[in-house]
Amino acid sequence: MAELVKQPPRITRFTFLRKGMRAFVGLILGAIGGWSAFGARRRNTVWQIDPMKCVQCEHCSTACVVSPSAVKCVQSYSICGYCLLCFGYFQPDADASLTSAAENQLCPTDAIERVFVEDPYWKYNIREDRCIGCAKCIQPCEMFGNASFYLQVRHDICVNCNNCSIAMQCPSGAWERRPASDPYMLKHKQDYPLNKGQGGPRNTRPINALNAAQLEIELAPKIELALAPPSFTSK
Amino acid sequence: MERFGQQQLVMAIIGLMTLMAGGFLFLLFRSPSQVVTTMRITDYSAERSAGFAPDEKAAPKEVKKIDFKGVFETFDGKPGTTVENWPHFRGADYTNIVKTKVPLATKWPEGGPPKIWEIDVGEGYAGPVVWKGAVYLIDYDEEKEGDVLRCLSFADGKDIWRRFYDSPIKANHGYTRTVPAVTDDFVVSMGPNCNVLCVSRETGDFRWGKDLKADYDTKVPLWYTGQCPLIDGNTTVLAPGGNALMIGVDTETGEVLWETPNPKGWLMSHSSIIPMTVLGKKTYVYCSIGGVIGVSAEDGDRGTLLWETDQWTHSVTSPSPVPIDDNRIFFTVGYGGGSMMLGLKKEGNKIVAEPIYKLEKTTFGCEQQTPIYFKDRLFSIMPKDAAALRGQFACLSPDGKIVWSSGKTNRFGLGPFLMANDLFYLLDDDGELTMIKASLTGYEVLAKAQVLHGHDAWGPMALVDGKLILRDSKKMICLDVSKQ
Repeated sequence: MAELVKQPPRITRFTFLRKGMRAFVGLILGAIGGWSAFGARRRNTVWQIDPMKCVQCEHCSTACVVSPSAVKCVQSYSICGYCLLCFGYFQPDADASLTSAAENQLCPTDAIERVFVEDPYWKYNIREDRCIGCAKCIQPCEMFGNASFYLQVRHDICVNCNNCSIAMQCPSGAWERRPASDPYMLKHKQDYPLNKGQGGPRNTRPINALNAAQLEIELAPKIELALAPPSFTSK
Repeated sequence: MERFGQQQLVMAIIGLMTLMAGGFLFLLFRSPSQVVTTMRITDYSAERSAGFAPDEKAAPKEVKKIDFKGVFETFDGKPGTTVENWPHFRGADYTNIVKTKVPLATKWPEGGPPKIWEIDVGEGYAGPVVWKGAVYLIDYDEEKEGDVLRCLSFADGKDIWRRFYDSPIKANHGYTRTVPAVTDDFVVSMGPNCNVLCVSRETGDFRWGKDLKADYDTKVPLWYTGQCPLIDGNTTVLAPGGNALMIGVDTETGEVLWETPNPKGWLMSHSSIIPMTVLGKKTYVYCSIGGVIGVSAEDGDRGTLLWETDQWTHSVTSPSPVPIDDNRIFFTVGYGGGSMMLGLKKEGNKIVAEPIYKLEKTTFGCEQQTPIYFKDRLFSIMPKDAAALRGQFACLSPDGKIVWSSGKTNRFGLGPFLMANDLFYLLDDDGELTMIKASLTGYEVLAKAQVLHGHDAWGPMALVDGKLILRDSKKMICLDVSKQ
């Protein structure tokens, strides 16, 4: 008598679908779990731009998922030359009168405030609510000035994407993860290296020549704001 | 019953997947948040607070009268002995090319050429002149807040005399930027705030002084003036802008001999007056902010405006004109301005100045120094915005084509360069001195040395009797670059 050949069990479409969905849900749950675990670690780090590597390509203004970008120009007052002719403020072909007329300004959004201090010093403040992080002011400042303007990610705006879309596009590798407790990469006069062919802390005298009242106004609020730890609770 | 449960499960799964897809599509295509815009209105509030809003007449500034005689001090320095001289900006013939009889070293020992002396100077970029063993320099005394014309020994750098006068100004990328002019009898200096002083060369005795702001309503250029005074025979020639484009002053008495009117209100720039022959006539050529002028330098009509052009005007003009031949002059500038070759020709009784060509900043330019013209080639350190050529030492043919450049691994800053015999000396911002062969065909380094250790080594150099005087923002040194 011939032995019966055992046939493999038939799987119905429903069974296939049911098992498939179980696997899929399991995968989803696993992914959520893994993301949470990773996110717990990720929440302790934030994105930041290394100003020494930034090449002012303008991607920061267009690639950010937030609009306007979470990247803003910041001003290092201790490095700034307080020049009447600020190359980061004025267009190359600005009228010789050097007024703050719109056609003279390099910034497309009027995000740089120009304030007279005392002859021959002018102060340049960044209006962050207007800044779009395009870096148009930074390139000439770095080329012809003291390189006091530079870009930083503002952590009261940044949503701290795991895969930052700007970081993925940055051509110079200037984006890096930093501890949330030390979120900024600030330029300071005393440790700013003199790079060949670039700006440096040349005109360091004005900060000393300005009177004490002016200095107090200048330095305190900006440093406090810059060092404020990022907050994620609202996101 | 079982069939009914299965159907429900399938529907639920489909519904869940539909929701997830919909959510994904929503996140993908949702509109970005609106950017709130406001009208951009300039109210010139900053300018008003500074006193010069365009729609307001500025209140006249009180100009304090300067006591140019000031304070005079003597020291125990003694003049050295020199055969050659460096009497003014860009050397004896205004070319920054030195033909010295002293053989120059083509290689240096480790550590660079021997240092003869080193002195402290006020923060700035002023260059020296040398005459009969003495070095003359306009300096700034920060503590006392005034200009100080210094006479030093060429042999050891020790002060011989100093004349100081009050001129309180604030640091603005340093203070001094000019090179004095010296003759056998006189020294004429231009301070940062457009104050001109003339003294007897040997004794430092006061002759005369002029405050160009007060006398000619000169607008002090950005970061203080870089214009170097010119002494032509017995006349000191200056370009104050303001009420006069150019003036000639009797160097001995200070009497103004002639003035070239300034109907268009062109302004003083950092550029210096260069005397040259144009279409057979001796001419003072100057780049103001507003345009370029050619003023007669000949007896009979000295001071007469011969020609002008507004085809070359930039808000920051530091390089001076470079004569190419009898009817061509080369101009260049940094900060995006590029270069221009100007052609001059006679049309009847008039001289017409027209650009032959203009070059983009990425082709040729120079930010602060003036190019050197040698054997039908122009040499310059390219400006920072010259893209791939930025900071390179480049050679240009007169038809506007780059012949060679130093390459991307050999970049320089804003520092000076001069030519001596068949060598170029180039000084980097941070004090590295490079010596190359003066070649028409390529860049060939002979030696390099870190000779200064500060920053902003931008002041013009001087080479006399095989000794090179150079500086950074706060130190001046003298090096022996002769063949040992």
